[in-house]
Amino acid sequence: MHDLTTDQSVRILDSLPCYVTLMDRRLRVLWSNDAAHRDFGDPLGKTCYELFRVRGDKCSECLVEQSFQDGAIHNKEMTLVTAEGDRIDVLVYSSPVRGDNGEIASVVETAVNISSVKEMQKQLILLGQTVAGLAHGLKNIMMGLDGGIYVVNRGLQDKNQAEVREGWEMVLFNFDKISKIVKDILYCSKDREPNIQEVQPNSVIREVSDLFRETARGYGITLQLDLDEEVTHAEMDPDGLHSVITNLVANAIDACKMDLWKDEHLIEIRSRKGADGSVTIEVADNGTGIDRDTKDQIFEDFFSSKGDKGTGLGLMVTQKIMKEHGGSITFRSRPGQGTTFTAKFPHRET
Amino acid sequence: MAKKILVIDDEPHVVKYITAFLEDSGYDTCSASNGEEGIEVLKKEKPDLVTLDLQMPGDTGTRFYRNMTKSKEFKDVPVIVISGIPGRHLAVSKPVAVFEKPIDRDALLDAVKKSLGE
Ligand SMILES: Nc1ncnc2c1ncn2[C@@H]1O[C@H](COP(=O)(O)OP(=O)(O)OP(=O)(O)O)[C@@H](O)[C@H]1O
Ligand SMILES: [Mg+2]
Repeated sequence: MHDLTTDQSVRILDSLPCYVTLMDRRLRVLWSNDAAHRDFGDPLGKTCYELFRVRGDKCSECLVEQSFQDGAIHNKEMTLVTAEGDRIDVLVYSSPVRGDNGEIASVVETAVNISSVKEMQKQLILLGQTVAGLAHGLKNIMMGLDGGIYVVNRGLQDKNQAEVREGWEMVLFNFDKISKIVKDILYCSKDREPNIQEVQPNSVIREVSDLFRETARGYGITLQLDLDEEVTHAEMDPDGLHSVITNLVANAIDACKMDLWKDEHLIEIRSRKGADGSVTIEVADNGTGIDRDTKDQIFEDFFSSKGDKGTGLGLMVTQKIMKEHGGSITFRSRPGQGTTFTAKFPHRET
Repeated sequence: MAKKILVIDDEPHVVKYITAFLEDSGYDTCSASNGEEGIEVLKKEKPDLVTLDLQMPGDTGTRFYRNMTKSKEFKDVPVIVISGIPGRHLAVSKPVAVFEKPIDRDALLDAVKKSLGE
């Protein structure tokens, strides 16, 4: 092995793929390598927390001071801000550098960019939440399947045809629920191109409201349409449009069902043509409304305030469909009064 | 005489399942699909035990429980909570047992027997 010249040592430090800085006791930067120089600028006369633009004064648990004090190596994760204003996550190590007399003369810090690891970590956390949400939805379906199977078996044992049928319906009902969840999840997990065709939005609205009218009436809810005849046709994904309206109306019905304060409940579905050729569809209800704490969460996947009754995927799918159309979904709500969801589809050339 | 159990759940399927199972285990059952109805059935049928579904904040199950514990006649009727949401039984101060869905039938039967002193 040959000894390195000073020049060579510096060149090696400069080409290390991490930020290397040397600090004195007062946290002033004595030297920094090329990488640090490039991303954080000239360290001359700066302290390390100034160079790295750590917020406020020096860091709460200063690694450099620790290494000066106990002569040991320390590390922690930090966020630094580059000269250009970008935030990067780094893993920082501090290590004492001793002089000829054995005293700690300075402390060297290395900071490795771990932004990509951080990003991965975030995705994993998200994945974990998704799986937890999924498992919760499945638990209740399991209960339904358990129950259905139990009742079918009981009917078979007693040779009771009616009971077999009742149990079988429980099984089918829960099977449908699983199918819907799986479809929703697959829908959300893929980037997909909407299948744009010429559709008549008003007809789709009528179709969906016919599907729900009986159910709504059963809960004493009136379903009402206010359609703009100017909305003749539009370029949209017909299945997507159908899902959006279905999800919004289903939510509106739930909100009315859960509202115990008003005697009469009303849901209105509206269509409007904008001057710019856009089509706006609104679903307004006078149900429970959405309170402040809930407002920020409703578009999150698996967020549901309905306990076992909701998967929390409805609005997430809705939002995805609207994005695919280059459109938007917004809402305004007054707790106790009701909620209006607005889906806006921009004009699209044929 | 067989002991009587009131099953409260707003999901008719769940009611069917639990009552079927309890009947097969030798109990009489009655049921209600919400808290208000639950109180009526409670007064009429005077059950020996109640299973209660609790899930939504401010739902009728919580109210049922409050009303029941306020009444002299029924405040000591044991309650078993069956909930889809783990750790959400706090609304009920002292249920004799809490089950998450899907329920373990044998464990439920054990809890029923124990609270009825059988
Ligand atoms: N019209 C509305 N009024 C009041 N709250 C609403 C309304 N629409 C949505 N929410 C709130 O947003 C939450 C999320 O809605 P989303 O449709 O994503 O899930 P969900 O309806 O709970 O479940 P799913 O759609 O799978 O049945 C609901 O649980 C509810 O709290
Ligand atoms: Mg929904």
